[in-house]
Amino acid sequence: MSAPGDAAVSPGAGDGRVVVDLRGIRKEFPGVVACDGANLTVRAGTIHALLGENGAGKTSLVNVLGGVYLPDAGEIWVHGRQRQFHSPADAIAAGIGMVHQEFRLVPTLTVFENVVLGSAPRYLDMGQIIERVAHLAATYSLQTDPSRPVWQLSVGERQRVEILKALWRDADVLVLDEPTAVLTPAEAADLGLTLRSMADRGRSVVYISHKLDEVLSVCDEATVLRGGVTVARPRSLAGVDRSELAEMMVGEAATQIQRPAERPSGDIVLELAGVSALSDRGLPALHSVDIDVRAGEIVGVAGVSGNGQRELAEAIAGLRPTTAGTMLLAGVDITGASPRGRSRAGLAYVPEDRLGMGLAPAMSVVDNAVVRSYRSMRRRMMLDLRGCEDFCRRLVERFGVQVGRIHEPVSALSGGNLQRLLLGRELTGEPKMLVAAQPTRGLDVAGIAAIQEQIVAQRAAGVGVLLISEDLDELLALSDRLVVMYEGQVAALMDPTQVTRAEVGAAMAGSAATASGGNS
Amino acid sequence: MSEAAVVGLLVATVQFATLVYLAGLGELIAERSGVLNLGVEGMMAMGAVSGFMMALATDRPWIGFAFAALVGMAVAGVHALVSVVMGAGQVVSGLAITIGGLGFAAFIGQDAVRERADAVFTDLGIAGLADIRWVGPILFNQPPVVYLAGLLGIAAWFVLNRTRLGLALRAVGESASTTDSVGHSVTLLRSGAVLIGGAFAGAAGAFLSLYMAAGWTEGLIAGRGWIAVALVIFGAWRPGRLAAGSLLFGFTLALQPRVQTFDLSIFGFEINTISPALLGILPFLLTVVVLIAISFRARHRPSPAPAALTLPYRREER
Amino acid sequence: MTDPGAAPEPTHAPLHTVSRGRARWHRGLMRPVLQRRADVVPAAQAVAFVIGIAVALIAGALLLLAAGNDPAQVYGRMVDSSLGGINSISRTLLRATPLALAGLAVAVAGSMGLWNIGAEGQMMAGATVAAGFAMSAGDLPGPLLIVLMLIAGAVGGVVLMVGPALARAYLGVSEIITTLMLVEVSIRIVEWLETGPWKDPESQGFALIEPLPDQASLPGLFGRTHVGALFAVALLVAFWLAVSRTAWGYELRMAGSSPATARYAGISLQRKVLAALLLSGALAGLAGAIELTGTATRLDPGLSNGYGFAGIIVAALALMRPSGVAAVAFVFGAVQVGGQSIQTLGVTSSIATILQAMILIGALVAAVLLNYRVRWVRPVGHPPEEAAPPAGPALDRTPPSDGSSNPEASGV
Repeated sequence: MSAPGDAAVSPGAGDGRVVVDLRGIRKEFPGVVACDGANLTVRAGTIHALLGENGAGKTSLVNVLGGVYLPDAGEIWVHGRQRQFHSPADAIAAGIGMVHQEFRLVPTLTVFENVVLGSAPRYLDMGQIIERVAHLAATYSLQTDPSRPVWQLSVGERQRVEILKALWRDADVLVLDEPTAVLTPAEAADLGLTLRSMADRGRSVVYISHKLDEVLSVCDEATVLRGGVTVARPRSLAGVDRSELAEMMVGEAATQIQRPAERPSGDIVLELAGVSALSDRGLPALHSVDIDVRAGEIVGVAGVSGNGQRELAEAIAGLRPTTAGTMLLAGVDITGASPRGRSRAGLAYVPEDRLGMGLAPAMSVVDNAVVRSYRSMRRRMMLDLRGCEDFCRRLVERFGVQVGRIHEPVSALSGGNLQRLLLGRELTGEPKMLVAAQPTRGLDVAGIAAIQEQIVAQRAAGVGVLLISEDLDELLALSDRLVVMYEGQVAALMDPTQVTRAEVGAAMAGSAATASGGNS
Repeated sequence: MSEAAVVGLLVATVQFATLVYLAGLGELIAERSGVLNLGVEGMMAMGAVSGFMMALATDRPWIGFAFAALVGMAVAGVHALVSVVMGAGQVVSGLAITIGGLGFAAFIGQDAVRERADAVFTDLGIAGLADIRWVGPILFNQPPVVYLAGLLGIAAWFVLNRTRLGLALRAVGESASTTDSVGHSVTLLRSGAVLIGGAFAGAAGAFLSLYMAAGWTEGLIAGRGWIAVALVIFGAWRPGRLAAGSLLFGFTLALQPRVQTFDLSIFGFEINTISPALLGILPFLLTVVVLIAISFRARHRPSPAPAALTLPYRREER
Repeated sequence: MTDPGAAPEPTHAPLHTVSRGRARWHRGLMRPVLQRRADVVPAAQAVAFVIGIAVALIAGALLLLAAGNDPAQVYGRMVDSSLGGINSISRTLLRATPLALAGLAVAVAGSMGLWNIGAEGQMMAGATVAAGFAMSAGDLPGPLLIVLMLIAGAVGGVVLMVGPALARAYLGVSEIITTLMLVEVSIRIVEWLETGPWKDPESQGFALIEPLPDQASLPGLFGRTHVGALFAVALLVAFWLAVSRTAWGYELRMAGSSPATARYAGISLQRKVLAALLLSGALAGLAGAIELTGTATRLDPGLSNGYGFAGIIVAALALMRPSGVAAVAFVFGAVQVGGQSIQTLGVTSSIATILQAMILIGALVAAVLLNYRVRWVRPVGHPPEEAAPPAGPALDRTPPSDGSSNPEASGV
């Protein structure tokens, strides 16, 4: 999408020697097989794309390479030797440098302290180390001030510190997990240059992404994962057609649940006018957002993560104060209402982090089931325990949540069941409006289908739905209208039946709005 | 108020400051690694009694002092095992160390109670300097432990801020998982810091029994361990500020037994009407004030408190 | 660029060679890895408590042997004096009462994930305010005076807790340290009262506070125990009902377990923190007032007697559950009574203190071992250098660019 075009001209500076070879990796988590028969071969001096849809096993595979997970089967070969990594430190020692999506930095330490942590000289000669870190940074055009504390840095700068950490350890192989998800286009372009200069110096880069255009412009080779299996390994991306790649990633198009074609014509249930809010760091995150959702309509929200989607969901749920604008729910002003007030007014909310905000992991299934309704289950001061249990059993049955005992901690449930429980809880009590943030992220196929079916069912029942997702296919299939967020603003309003993935992608990247008549 | 009284007060200030500084420095090192050890009081008691008994047996204060450090370390080892290796609660484990340490010290010290040691530290009397009026007795005629504490403080600052070990220690107190991911052993770092902290606390206890009180009784520590815990917060987890704070706390400790003998009035206020007991409150109240001040400042920048303090870390193999 | 291996980074090579590839001495050590057990041991905490008692008894026996005592005789006396007969049990209950109340106070805060380390101080503050009230209203009839004193005690505990509670709820200041600091403050205030304002004019040279009015003492129950034991039981039951059966308790648990979820459910975290801490302070203050009216004739700085700190251990061993608090408090009460009784054998009562600490440490370790499996793993990320690399399928080996960790490949 937004990567330097000139960086793509040199297809591989190495001589083709294999640096990393993962063979037949299998990794299973309770209920989910993340990888089974995944292979990855990375050559010196190349930028190697690891492509795949969400849930294809990309992150699990590189976590095996990075020593985070021990594989259940398969072999790890680095520099022609078979290795077993029991910890990230083992992988670092073998020359593997990982840049995770969540950075592993100590905020109160300075940049250089973070860079050298774990492989510093016995005595810290500050001047000398700062100079060397600065030099290393300059070599790979990584702009940073080594003596600034990390808590003062932007996300892009933090990523550069992570890359510096790997370079300081002399990593031959740098693994980046969806590196541009948190970057501005300009930062993403800089990153492309940095990675190319690393490849030119004989290092290798494993670049995880599901964004084809970005991969085509940055990477030399690719491995495509689908359902935990390596399905293709093109030696060169030079002549590859992007639709071919897309086909490899997706396979025979999974039976995507589709909303019915007829247009919704209900009244407006949710109306946001000029809503602004701040991020956790106190910076503006939402600027004057206008969105309206009709009864029986699914409005999708697309965007590169970190462009205000999270803040939008929290602002609607009443968990984040707004700094401007008004919100109407079924005609009632809820701008200043508490989360509970909004829920009583008919708002249901499925938050992004299920086990953080949606559910209390250590508490029982029953306790979690009644979060929205326990107030109505009081008899004088006492809680009607029998009533709570009955409520929970009905919920579990109706939404097909698989639980052992309803008094066991909710953390014992699998991701799909957690989400069924959460969605079911939110949908009891006939809400008028559902806000669902990343409801299918991290779920297996059956789980995704179950959740999507529920969302479509809500639409049929006349509920307005705001669906925030990073899965573009999901959005295109389910949404009646599509809102694209960019830097906290509504960058485009689209009709999913009239646009292509590429057009949505361009709008997500902030290129001039290509609105195509979504304002029905 | 006589010159002798003022000099006496300041001499005692330096000694009390040394006492709480030694114990506080140990606690600071443990807390910078992310482990709160509320067992200082118990470790000091164990150090005091064992150091005293060892000095009695060997007739050498230094052997007693070193033994006290070892014993403090051993007691801290229990805290390290329970709270670091096992990952159980630091707060409860530390309290058990204090309660058990006080009980254990009373148990083994039964026979030592009425003994008076001859093998105690003597003042160093640095030639030529000790005789200077005012400054001499306060700074240059102190027991060797006072100077040792100063050196240890400088060493601790150096290690924390200028070495790989110190960097790892500071990092593990902020984020154990990050430190683990770059190949440092969280268990080793934290256990080591707790053990060093125990050694310092044990040594501080021995300074009490081998110099300041020159003897052992049950109740000798008398809350000085808690003052050390407070001091670490008052000093915002920095060795330098810890030193400044220890002088202030040491002053209040030195003033307590003396205040009612002082014949001095400031703006018509008679100093000797101050209750020693109320004076003893001062360090604790000041610490609470500092904590609240820190929380206000923390709205704009990270708190000086180690972010991972009291959070156990267990890496579970997946 | 055809040979990346021969194009190292000259810029920072001297420094970073210390890092990669060179194993630190401890890297090769076997390291323990704790793995959560899938099969949960039933009533794990009760089992851990029993193991803790066993560990403490064994360690105590060794200590006694080393000191030249007969453990069987000492333990026999301890059991006999604390459990052998109604009178002994009444003594145990007398001690268990403040332990249970202090433990309950800690557990109230603990069920929200908060640590009231200052129960000792709040007990003192409660006793102080109760004593002050009794001194100023000494001519009230007994029952009324006692009830008002108990209320005053709860108020005293709240007074000492207000600062830490507000600081925690609105500024996020750790309640662990603030409550702890105020312990010393409240004890010293009593010391000050003893030497000054409240000094008994008839005590001459001794620092003693005026005695309480005669009618300010709780009625006895049986043997040595007083009705405070019934209060303790009633409060434990009330707290159990409140936490497990009321919406308030549900909110408290939710706020402690998952603040974000609680916020979403419309539960005010700040109000819950305030409520939990202030209630905790009130209970500890009440414990102080009960101890004062039940056992003492006058206020003195030793009144709280470590009950507040022991209460933390009681609550921790009980995992903040009321039934557990009762059980652990009873055991600790028995140990303390036993400790007093063995002094006639020439054994110091400090053995009781040691036993209590050992029970906790033993139980903490046992609880971890019951919930986790210890596996020893040897890191094998670094195969010995001399081991010939297995012949990979036509893979060239690239030397690391610093060349230090792979000498046989440096000639590429």
